[in-house]
Amino acid sequence: MPDVPLDAIAPGQTAHVVALDPAHPLRRRLMELGFVRGAPITVIRRAPLGDPVELRIGATLLALRAADLHLIRVRL
Amino acid sequence: MTAAPSPATLIPDEVACADTLARLKAAREPRVVVVGNPNVGKTTLINALAGTNLKVGNWSGVTVEKREAHLNHEGRRVYLLDLPGAYSLSPHTPEELVTRTALLDEAPDVVLNVLDAGNLERNLYLTLQLMDYRLPVAVALNLVDEAREKGVQVDSRALSRLLGVPVVETIASRAQGTAGLLDSALGHATLGIGVRYPEAIELAVEALTARMVGVETLPPHAHRYLALTLLEGDPSVRGRLNATGHAALVQAADAQLGALAAQGLDPLIEIAEARYALAGDIARAAAPQAQARRTVTERLDALALHPWLGIPLFLALVLLVFRLTFTVAAPFVDLIGGPLQDTLTGWASAALAWFPLARDLVTGAIIPGVGTVLSFLPTLLVLYLAMSFLEDSGYMARAAFLMDRAMRSVGLDGRAFIPLILGFGCNVPAVYATRTLERRSDRLLVSMILPFMSCSARLPVYVVFAAALFPRQASLLVWAMYTLGMLVALAFAFVLRRTSYPAEGSGVLLELPPYRFPTARVLWKHAWRRTASFAKRARTTVLATVAGVWLLLAIPAVSGAQFATVAPQDSLFGRVSQAISPIFAPLGFGTWEATGALVPGFIAKEVVVGTLGQIYLGEQAARPTPLGLVDGIAQAGRATWDAVVSSVSAIPTILALPSLNADATQALNTPLATALSRAFTPASGLSYLVFVLLYTPCIATVGALAQEHGRRFAWTTVAYQLATAWIAAFLVYQIARAVL
Repeated sequence: MPDVPLDAIAPGQTAHVVALDPAHPLRRRLMELGFVRGAPITVIRRAPLGDPVELRIGATLLALRAADLHLIRVRL
Repeated sequence: MTAAPSPATLIPDEVACADTLARLKAAREPRVVVVGNPNVGKTTLINALAGTNLKVGNWSGVTVEKREAHLNHEGRRVYLLDLPGAYSLSPHTPEELVTRTALLDEAPDVVLNVLDAGNLERNLYLTLQLMDYRLPVAVALNLVDEAREKGVQVDSRALSRLLGVPVVETIASRAQGTAGLLDSALGHATLGIGVRYPEAIELAVEALTARMVGVETLPPHAHRYLALTLLEGDPSVRGRLNATGHAALVQAADAQLGALAAQGLDPLIEIAEARYALAGDIARAAAPQAQARRTVTERLDALALHPWLGIPLFLALVLLVFRLTFTVAAPFVDLIGGPLQDTLTGWASAALAWFPLARDLVTGAIIPGVGTVLSFLPTLLVLYLAMSFLEDSGYMARAAFLMDRAMRSVGLDGRAFIPLILGFGCNVPAVYATRTLERRSDRLLVSMILPFMSCSARLPVYVVFAAALFPRQASLLVWAMYTLGMLVALAFAFVLRRTSYPAEGSGVLLELPPYRFPTARVLWKHAWRRTASFAKRARTTVLATVAGVWLLLAIPAVSGAQFATVAPQDSLFGRVSQAISPIFAPLGFGTWEATGALVPGFIAKEVVVGTLGQIYLGEQAARPTPLGLVDGIAQAGRATWDAVVSSVSAIPTILALPSLNADATQALNTPLATALSRAFTPASGLSYLVFVLLYTPCIATVGALAQEHGRRFAWTTVAYQLATAWIAAFLVYQIARAVL
């Protein structure tokens, strides 16, 4: 199955991290929060105004903007 | 239980920590630093450990809170330093920088690492990073009750064995396990296992640490951490080493990085993955079948972040906070501003009967001025309690999530929302809170619009005017003022973003911590501390200002008048105010009294009320009915009881949300309100409030802006705020005069 950007994942679905774009402004921080190769990420919901998007990684809930999700490659 | 992590991934605990422990035992006052992720209940734990010994201060140079305590633990003194919450030791925020710096420079005797039992894997990332420092570590496994509710059962013995450090289970909110925690930390802390990174990384670390041996400015406990951090490419560590004469070390790290890159390795990824792999192994081994159930947080978020209920709920909540503030506190405001102040005035004038000047200063300036300001302490306490509740319960982060998209339409992000909301409490810490924004242009932009956020010192002005002119719409008026301030701030953000401070890149990350019911003790501490700092201003800045205004009011500006008996309008203060007042005539309040109160209001906004009290009530207050001691106490006691009764009986009406009208009987009824209702029309009162809302909040905010961004920036902000305030008040007056 091909890699897709994380913003292509629908709420309720879980995908696994493949890689973070080296140009991602939050690359280091995301790794520290667990965005390492193979880590499962569940997309929970979009904010009422459409952006940002709430994610669950491990037991952590966090929100990222669609533009930043776009730089995270995942595999379903 | 699944297999323990293979020993190959660990560094055996070979480095003898006997040496460190011996030093610890000998130390007269061992120093313990407390480190943990944000939202792991660290503050609650520290409060449980330190109780009343806890002192709160600021780190010099950075406005990050520093909490420390000297404890008496079984006959010996222990120094406890609570470091701000950090996800990692590669600093992204000032909080993390403080934590990292403390570990590098202070070389504490013990690192007490607080973990959230319900989020073990992520929390262990920091633990393993801490172990890159060769410092003794002990673990407090906190929130075990909350984890259990989620279906996560951590085997703390297994965890202790796997990490190689002592682990104590705690439930800080009920002070469970905290007693044994210090014993364990002081008696059994060890260096732990640490992570064994891939071979190529370890070789590079070895090469770098070899260069650090014997360098006095690089203490041995920090060697491994520094080497790893250099390999991770952390710019702040590079900068610091370059600045302290270790440029050769940085160059050596660059050479190692080049060699690793040639092998196709990115140390940042390798190191993070190694830590996470080990953290995951340990978490799975210590908390098997950690199949999390649907948590309370998820159920509450389904409502709080609901696609179309979320935002109305947020706005309703903010309105509820202001309504609560107004309704519950009002009777106490009446009490302090009315009967208590009268009693005190009576006593003071009797006691100082033979010293007319001192009597006039006390009864005509200090009691009405400072007293009026202090009468708002109950209002602020309720506001701060409500805001602390929203912050500590985890709702504030949801507010940022809900508002991010809206904030982006003016060029900001949801995180900028937090300093802005903090600005509702006080603009000064809010200016410092802009440091949590990563980009400089964001910090400048948010600092520039922050002073429009209506801080709590402005609340007394609204409350008095609302009581005087709009008693039936009091809470609506207060809400409208806060909303107006916010709208003006956002409008400026929109313009400034497109003209002066263009956005740099993107990158917004918000953690949504689990909802928790804050403990009463922590809530009270937070709210009380903020209220106390307001009270401190009342007895310093405000006291000095009202005394200064009294002096200016006492100095005659006409010939033939005598010191202290001159009519206010003929005093120096009156004459100067008269000279300025025409500027405000188009705004509807060109009287010298109204203008006069705005000038000291530049020092602190709450002084506006104090000065108005002085000008309008000064004479009246100087002729009080003297009361005996017993009569006075009896009167004060009766009035206090009445206040409690009306405050409690007002609570049910708060929930009558659809009606925004405060009940007329709850409205304030102070002498100042009566005086203002004669001096202002609804239109000029409204315009006055808008001016007070929008002009420079206080000299302390100007100071904070100057400290953060330079004097020029601060004065620019002052100038454009004055202009904005004038224009907005002018528009409001002209419109209101036509409509009202």
